[in-house]
Amino acid sequence: MELIREAQAGSRAAFDALVRQYEHQVLRLALHLTGSEQDAEDIYQEAFLKAFRYIGNFRFECSFYTWIYRIVTNLCLDQLRRKKTRREDHAVYVDHSGAEVDVLASVPDGRSFSNPSRELDRKLLGQRIQTALGKLTPRERMVFELKHYQGLRLRTIGEMLNTTEETAKNTLFRATKKLRTQLAELRS
Amino acid sequence: MNCEMAHERIVTAAYGELPDEQAHELERHLGGCPDCRGEREQLRALKVLADAHPVTEPAANLVARSRLRLEEALDALPPKRWYERLGQRMMNNFASLQAAPVAACLLLVAGAGAGSLGGYELALNRAARPELTPAIASKTPQAGPAEIANISSIVRQPNSEIVEVRYNQVVPQQIRGSLDDPAIRQLLMLASENSASAGVRDDSVGLLAAECRAGHSCQAAGIRDALMVVLRYDKNAGVRAKALEGLEPYVAEDVRVRDAVLEALMNDGDPRIRTSAIGLLTPVEADTSVRQVLHTVANSDMNPQIRTVSRQVLRRVPEFQ
Repeated sequence: MELIREAQAGSRAAFDALVRQYEHQVLRLALHLTGSEQDAEDIYQEAFLKAFRYIGNFRFECSFYTWIYRIVTNLCLDQLRRKKTRREDHAVYVDHSGAEVDVLASVPDGRSFSNPSRELDRKLLGQRIQTALGKLTPRERMVFELKHYQGLRLRTIGEMLNTTEETAKNTLFRATKKLRTQLAELRS
Repeated sequence: MNCEMAHERIVTAAYGELPDEQAHELERHLGGCPDCRGEREQLRALKVLADAHPVTEPAANLVARSRLRLEEALDALPPKRWYERLGQRMMNNFASLQAAPVAACLLLVAGAGAGSLGGYELALNRAARPELTPAIASKTPQAGPAEIANISSIVRQPNSEIVEVRYNQVVPQQIRGSLDDPAIRQLLMLASENSASAGVRDDSVGLLAAECRAGHSCQAAGIRDALMVVLRYDKNAGVRAKALEGLEPYVAEDVRVRDAVLEALMNDGDPRIRTSAIGLLTPVEADTSVRQVLHTVANSDMNPQIRTVSRQVLRRVPEFQ
């Protein structure tokens, strides 16, 4: 709390310390959601610049974590909406140099790669999941991301999206229903 | 429970957010409903499938790159102009004021001391040149960042991570004005009794005492009473000494002041205060109650010097019959 007050009073060192506390989570979320290192970096930049500009408005009525995440989720939602209108549907992610990188190839995996067909299945599966996720509305995608992948509580998700826990719960329910329909043929 | 509700609760339960009593109800329903059991299996499968697109830790160079870019952007921001900083400060403190309870302590910060010192100089000048018109009081309220004074309660909501904390905030304020300004006088009197800092009490009592010695309407504002309270209760001898000085002009005319000084003579722990008290009683040496106290002090004071001085005073003034 002291760090926040110092940052509000104008201490750049205090603000930098706050950035360090939250930057990994911000990047993790933005990277998984957008699938692009460049997009994740842009969201990081916008989120923390906004936080710097508006930190004076933070009134301690929620946790700072929730406040920062609210900024990040709104930026991510804007990104998802922009992507949807451009009808982009990346099954791979794009690194900072612009090269496409296969999602699963970049994931460190403790299991042995002795079974190539299984490996191929996993890659295809990953792509199918991303495609299915891309068919959700931005809010459904966001709620599913925050709940399933980031492990946040529905109440916190509600606060971050400026809505109620009940609404977040219903959105999650809709998201899982849609995903199951999308992925149903994989089970047969 | 119908199946539609069960389907929703299956999702909530799968993510660990179903309250225990509802989870129990759901289990009972699933026990008798194969369709819903199938639904639960499908959801579990979805969760496994979804993990085929796992969350990755951002690479170190992504973190470093992002941080560097942010640093450059922040360095490039123009520094806030004075009116922007003031506006920001006012916004911060407006919200703090809304949170500060009425019972929050009033702190007299250094600015008031500086303002009071200026007023003190003015008061001295006025005592020497009474034809000067009094200065117009000007209040320039400014405020510093709010601090938390204490936590009054912590309540955790059952079955949740939500905690409600009630706390009191102290909002430092500042005011400048003339010593004739009732608001300033009130603050000085408050400071004489309430300030945690002996230095602040010393300043406030010194100013009030100077007002009294200069004859600037010491009674109406209760300043005399404040000085008497300080003389009796303040833990700091220097502060008590100043209060005593301020009461000097009233020893002869005000019986309460005389009694307060007599009490100090008998009970104050500091010999310098007791010595000063003797000096203050000169105009009323012939008073019976004063002589009685002087007799007691002449015989029983721990300090030999004080005993001597008391005897000298008694010898100087013949007793009235």
